[in-house]
This record gives sequence, C-alpha cells and structure tokens, in this order.
Amino acid sequence: MERRTFIKLTAVSGTGAALAGCGVSEPALIRFVPDETPAPGIAEWKPGVCPLCAGGCGLSVRIMAADVDTVRNGQRGVVRRGVAKKLEGAAAHPVNGGGLCARGQAGIQLTYHPDRLTQPIRRVGSRRDGQFEPITWDQALSELVSRLDTLATNGQVRSLAILTSGRPSHRQLLFDQFAARFGAPAPISYNLFDEPVVRRANDLSFGHDQLPTIDLARTRLLLSFGADFLGTWNSPVAQMAAYARMRRNPTGVRGSFVQIESRMTPTGASADEWLPVPPGTEGALALGLAHVILKEHLTSAPPGRAASLIDGWAAGLPDFTPEKVSAMTGVPSARIERLARALAGQRPAAAIIGGPALAHTNGLAAALAVNALNALLDSVDQPGGVCFTPPFRASVASRGGAPLSGGSAPPIRGTLQTLASEILSGRHPVEVLLVDGVNPVFAAPPAWRVGEALSRVPFVVSFGSFIDETAALADLILPDHTFLESWVDAVPESGSLVAVASVAPPTMTSLFQTRATPDVLLEVGRMLRQPIGLPWQTFEAMLKASFEALGPEVWSAAQKQGGWWEEPPAVPPTARPVSARLPAPTRPPGRRIAVSGGVPSFAPPEFDAAADDFPFHLLPYPSPSFLDGSLAHLPWLQELPDPMTSAMWSAWVELHPQTAERLHIQLGDLVRVESHAGAVEVPAFVSPGIAPDVVAMPVGQGHVTYTRYASGRGANPVSLLAPMVVSGADALAWAATRVKLTRVGPPDGRLVLFSTAGELRERPYEGPGARR
Amino acid sequence: MPHRWGMVVDLDRCTGCEACVTACHAENNIPTVGDRQAARGRAMHWIRVERYFEGVFPDVRVKFRPVLCQQCDAAPCEPVCPTYASHHTEEGLNAQVYNRCIGTRYCANACPYSVRFFNFFNPAWETPLHLQLNPDVSVREGGVMEKCTFCVQRITAAEIQAKAERRELKDGAIAPACVQSCPAKAMVFGDLNDPESEASRLARSPRGSKLLGDLGTQPKVTYLERQSPV
Repeated sequence: MERRTFIKLTAVSGTGAALAGCGVSEPALIRFVPDETPAPGIAEWKPGVCPLCAGGCGLSVRIMAADVDTVRNGQRGVVRRGVAKKLEGAAAHPVNGGGLCARGQAGIQLTYHPDRLTQPIRRVGSRRDGQFEPITWDQALSELVSRLDTLATNGQVRSLAILTSGRPSHRQLLFDQFAARFGAPAPISYNLFDEPVVRRANDLSFGHDQLPTIDLARTRLLLSFGADFLGTWNSPVAQMAAYARMRRNPTGVRGSFVQIESRMTPTGASADEWLPVPPGTEGALALGLAHVILKEHLTSAPPGRAASLIDGWAAGLPDFTPEKVSAMTGVPSARIERLARALAGQRPAAAIIGGPALAHTNGLAAALAVNALNALLDSVDQPGGVCFTPPFRASVASRGGAPLSGGSAPPIRGTLQTLASEILSGRHPVEVLLVDGVNPVFAAPPAWRVGEALSRVPFVVSFGSFIDETAALADLILPDHTFLESWVDAVPESGSLVAVASVAPPTMTSLFQTRATPDVLLEVGRMLRQPIGLPWQTFEAMLKASFEALGPEVWSAAQKQGGWWEEPPAVPPTARPVSARLPAPTRPPGRRIAVSGGVPSFAPPEFDAAADDFPFHLLPYPSPSFLDGSLAHLPWLQELPDPMTSAMWSAWVELHPQTAERLHIQLGDLVRVESHAGAVEVPAFVSPGIAPDVVAMPVGQGHVTYTRYASGRGANPVSLLAPMVVSGADALAWAATRVKLTRVGPPDGRLVLFSTAGELRERPYEGPGARR
Repeated sequence: MPHRWGMVVDLDRCTGCEACVTACHAENNIPTVGDRQAARGRAMHWIRVERYFEGVFPDVRVKFRPVLCQQCDAAPCEPVCPTYASHHTEEGLNAQVYNRCIGTRYCANACPYSVRFFNFFNPAWETPLHLQLNPDVSVREGGVMEKCTFCVQRITAAEIQAKAERRELKDGAIAPACVQSCPAKAMVFGDLNDPESEASRLARSPRGSKLLGDLGTQPKVTYLERQSPV
C-alpha cells in the first residue's frame, strides 16, 4: 500500500471512529429535549446490586450525562440523559465492603452490549433456521397469555415448566409464586457450579441448608479442600475481603491456609502450603486428620451430630490411620500428623470444601467428613470458624422459606436431568417452558440431552437479553431490562455474618424497548383469563411489602443504601457470632433429596471410564472470567488475561510438563481431548501446577451462539462430561470423567497469551515442555 | 511541599483476581483490541497481574505481582521522548501528553517494565458500548502511546475539591481505580512526601522492595513481599 493511500485510509477510519466515540453518528444529529437534566460532568452515585453470581454484592453505580441514540416519532436523534459509567463496590455493604471483582465491574457491558436484544422477537420458521422477527410487546404478551390460557382451558396447567437460576431473591420468589398459583410444578434451577452437595451436607450435619460463611478474618489456620474461595467459589469478594484481614490480623497474628487440590487455582497460588492429592481422595484426608486428632485427644469438643453421620467415628476411624490415608492420597503420614496437630493447636482453625472435591461420586461423603472435622475442631458457628448467614426473616426470599402470602407449601423442585428425561420419554409433556437467566443447553452434560428435550417443547419463552444456545431454541424472547435499568434484589445465603438483603431501584432509564421480567410476569398473571391473583401490581410493590415488614423506616433506608442488613454486632473476639444467637432454622429445605440407603460413608471415587483407555482425569473448572460461561460475551472479560496462564480470548487444556513431554506436546500445540461422551480440540498449556494424571480445562468458551465476542470461540469441556452422579445428593459429579489426549498439530494461533509480548517474561512458565 | 504520589502493593494480600485490571479499563477508556490484535501483542492493560512459578510438582509455588507504571523518579521513558510527550510532573508522575505524542515508541522501548502501550489503530467502541466511556478521561487516537496515569483525573478532582473547600487533602482521600476496586485491599495509594501517610509508612516496611530496583529507576511503587506462616 502506498503511503498516501494509507494516510487517507487512516483519516477516513479516524473520522468514523471519532464520531462513533462521541455517540453522534451521521443521521443522528438531531438533539431532542431531554426528560431528565443531568448536570454535565458531575457524577452521581447510586446504589445497585450485582446479579452476576450468587454473592449478591452491593454496587455503587456512577451516573453521568451522555448523548444516547434514540428514536422519537420515527425520527432518529440523540437525547441527553444520565447513564451508568462505572460500577464499584458499595463501601458499607456487609458482603463486599467496597471491593468488586473483575466480573462484577465488567457487568456494565451487559447494558451496553452491541448484540443486546432491543425488543421482543418471535421465531420464524423452524428451530434449525434460528431466524427471528421483531414484534411489539402487545403481540408478545398476548401470544404468551393465549398459550397459558390454552393450558388452563385444557386442564394442562402442570405442562408449564420454568427454568431459573435459583439464586435466592425476590425475583426467584416471584417465579415460585407464579408457578404455584398457576398450578405448575415449582421452577427448576440449574447451575453447573452451584454447590447442592455442600447444602445437603450442611443440612445433614448442622441443620443449615445453605452454603457456609467463613469468618476468615479471625481464622488462624484454614484448610481448604478444593474450594477456590479467592476466585470463583461461594461469595468470592466477601472471602477476599476477609482474607485480607486474616493476612493482616488486628491481633497481630497472620493467619495462614493450606489448599488441597489437584490443579493449582489462583487460591492455591495464594496458599501458604499447597497440597495436591489425587482427585476424589479429599474426604479420606479429612478423615485421616480427624483420626489423628481423636487418637491423640487433641481437642475436647463433642462433635455431636456431624460426627454421628460418619461410619466408624466412635471407634476412632480405624480405617483412616495416617498410613492408610497416605496410601490413598500420596501425602506422607508424617505430614498428615503435622497438619492435624497444627489444626488442633492453632485455633481458631477451620476447614472448607468446595468445587471439584465435591464433584466426585463420593462428594457428599467428603463434605460430611469435612463437617465432622469442623465439629471436632469446635469451629462451627464460632469466631474464626464456619458460620452461617442468618436468614432474611422478613421475607420468603431466603432459600425455600414459606411464602409471603397465599400459604402454599415451600416448593419441591425437580431437577433439570429429570425434566429433560421426562420430556424425552413423554412421561411429563411440557407444553410451555419459561427460561430465565440460565443456559442449560450449554452447561449440561450431553448425556442429559437437554437441547433435544427443549426442542420438543412446543412453546419456549426466554427472558434473556442475548441469544445464547438456549434462547436460540425459543419461540418467543421477551428481553429483560438489565440490572442497571430495573429493580434488582438478592438475598445472599452466604458471605455475611449478619442477615442481609440487597435491593436497589433502577439507576437509569432503559435504553431499549425491553421490560423488567418480574413486571412482565405480574402483568401476564393479570392478563390470564383466570387471573392468578398475585397481590402486587409491580415488582417494586412486592419488594416494598417485603422490606416494610421489617419496620417503617427500613424500605426507604434500603433504597438509599442498596439493601438492608443487621448492624454488625460489636462482638469481642471470644464471643459467639451472631448466627449462633438466632434460633436454629427449622424450615424445610428448598430441594429435599431422598437419600437411598441412608447417609453415604466414604468410598473411593468412581469414574466413568477405565484408566487404561482414558488415562487422565478431566478437571473442568469455572473460568475466573466467565464462571460457567454466562459471562463469555463481555469483551472486557474476553480480553482479561487469565491469572494462571495470561490467556485471552482462548480456551485451552492444562497439562503437566512430564505429561506434555511424554506425549510430545508443547505450549500452544493443538490437542484432541476425548472422553466417552465426546471430543474437543484445544491448544495445550503446559503448567507445573497440575498433577501428571490430571488435565484441566476452563469452562466458559465454546459457545455456538452467544454474541459476536463469544460465538464459535474455543471449546466447551462440558461437552466431554459423563453423567456421573454424586452419591446421596442428586447432583452432577462433573469431575468424575476420564479423557485421553492426542497431539493434533502445531500451534495455530488460537492460544493468545498476554505474557508473550506484554509482560516482563516472555513465557508464562519457563520450564520443561514450555518451549514454543 | 508538593505531593509526591506513590503506591504500595502488599503481595501477601494480592490474590491475582484481576479486579484492578477491569477497573482500569473502565476508568481509563482503555479499548479492547480483539483476539487477532491481542495475538500480535497489541492488547492494552495498564495494569496486569504477572505470575511466577517456582519449584516442581508437587512442591509448586506461584507468586502474583500486579505490574503497572512504576512512576519512576528517574524514568527511562522520559529523556528519550523527542517531543516531551513523556514528561515528569511536579507531583512526580510520569505523564504522557497525548497531543504531543508522535508515536516514535522510543519510550516503550526504554521502559524496563513493559507498561507502555501503543495504539496501533484508532480505538472503536461498537454502539452502544461507547456510552460506558468515562468523560473525565480522553480517548487516545491511533499512533499515540498511552500508559497508567495513577488516575490523574481522580487526583486532580480531589485536589480541586480540597482547594475549593479550603482544606488539606486527607490521606486516603484519593484512590486510583485499581486501589478502589481491590477486594483484598492489597493496594495503598498516598503522598510519599507525607511521612505519616499510610503509603509512606508501608513503603518503609522491611518487606518492601522495588521492581527491578537495581536499574536505578527509583520507582514510586513499593512491593511488600509475601510472608511465611509463623
């Protein structure tokens, strides 16, 4: 190209970009009279709630004036109004205390995403074509209402199924109430990395059907069995804040922690001691530690109910001597004894379990073992121990509570797997399916055949803002406002030592012709031929009713500060935390699971295939950027270097240098990862922080359709998963699949590493197998 | 005495979560470049988290280190700039005047920390992503070098506010976006000329060290090394 042409091109593209950057494109030079008059250049901060994970962090949203493209009376133009500019953590919020993770901050791009749906759309043609046409809200609602009316007329009310994220909130409660009053089965929730096994174990051991809150700030020694508590597990921002206090403890003692896992997570990188064990043997190690403590009489606490669930506890766990556990886990028996003595000696000490440690066939038994260990250490509901966030008693939004009004029983939920198999077998014909905030077609193992099942449902309605794999099967998409444009709430089940409910009003008016899903639901309920009589006109009224039940000032205060929470008690370090003072919750759990044959005792893990044919354990893990893949469409997160590999815009498989050398695989080489269930091709990342017989893949990429930023990028390890089940808890054992590896070819540029050009070292890891 | 802004990063608290990286993108209108340009080393992250593996399995350790412009007192990037685009402010910041920059990229070559980024193209935000742009920070054009400013817009705003209210700036009143966002409060920002500021106090810690300090660049960012269990 000639220099002159080049300069011309630059000038042209430069002008275009500058105009786009100002938000004023050619045909939009008309400025309409604004409805609101934000002062230019002056920022206003409004409260918000982050909806991206179950953490329920409070937000502080920066609102400033901007020129927004708009259409009035068919005329395109711009109008000045206040829009969100930046998300920060709310300083006073008891969960996150001012901090906010990378994902939460990138959440602003949900609102401004170029591929966001701007109005209701209806499918044209067959599902395979994936073609949609825009329709008006009137058309859309009347179509949904007529479908529901038909169900009611034909006595098929139980043929309505609802899929939700299941996060405790008033939004979820509204879906529950809608289903109950319509006569449909309770909404089914599905989250690949949700932790039903921990809830089940905590319910059995302690009577708390919820995830634990670790009082890390006061912990002196923490044992984490696989829980990536500083990255993606449970309530990460709350845990990072507490971790910081643990490291610079007011008492002057620096708390430490041991991470037990087979692949190093960012949490493992921060650990004082990293202890790799073979997948599925975490429970044995916990029982081995308990054995030593019992044998040497290192504690005096009566472990009570939690211990009574463990086989052989009364006899001192004879099957878990350090020697036997050493044989199972490969951890030297002297190290087991040392750890046990440290746990008993450095109190407060606590143990937690999460992530892959629970995703084996023996996951529930492992969780029960860790619970018993905690009880033995007297660290349950104690300062520096494992605590439980007190329930938000005003409402029913806490997981599975009794309804606000109406008096029906707490919902008994089915599972996604059952729903799919019942649709496929025709046992439970689903005529209408509502999907809110989940993408099971992407995140469920192939053997469940969720996509096929959903395709058989005559009428699928999605409330999503984007066309993902599940929404692509929808007949009707009624796009929701984003969390910045609507009333939003969360009732976190963990992450806070005081009872908390986050709530916030809209921070800005909606950009497009979208509608808040809770309000749509309420309106549909009113439009039905036999209205279902939900007692609120709007979602705002529902929230108001719930918060006002706590006291006259609570509602207005909650709107201003972004939620309601109990004042943190001024507890001296020796007192029991607040959760212990509350009456033990007696409510029935949200998802009661039948345990056949009683509580499982620890057994060696089972895998889907033999080691001869499939020599490697496959460890899929939640991507630090995308979690279960639901955030893969945000450009900031795509370009965020992964903390352990510096990879951007990529999917990869991590393997040990020895493994790589043996298979003649080098950094970036294309590798075929194959299981009984399927196969994917991804570039290799050679990492010293992984066991030689384990390969790990981040979940999140590999979307077939999920906006311009994520579609067709990388591979999805969920497509390799065998439908293994955690024994005693009806949950997917997502770490129980075995795979084999074959080198396919040299690097093809799919693995993009920031470290190769952007860091002080040219390779993320400079050891054997890392050459390129 | 003028302020002299500095930062302390406690590696004992940093969890490598990269909240700071996204915060920086949001605050400073840093464009994403896409996979193809990123593969050519053109991704821009004014702050990044580096990882250092030590040892062999199973005794592996990883250390995270957030790396941003070290705001050197003897900055190698400044004397090489032919147009004085890269210069030292009175408050000790290594500032970049985008309008002066002619894109020689000498500064990026001179910087030992790899914290300067060149705009190979004019940045583009696909509508309506442009609505998230921070009006307090100018968008850089193609051919211009950009870098961490210690969020100079936040510093200036706080200084103007304090002056208008006729009061001294309080320690901790200014938090660059990375410092504000850090869930683990691993970063502290403050005036190094004020011996009582928390940043000054922590910078004197025996755990403190400078990144590539032996180059004589005199960084104003201090790293507090990780500690071992008692």
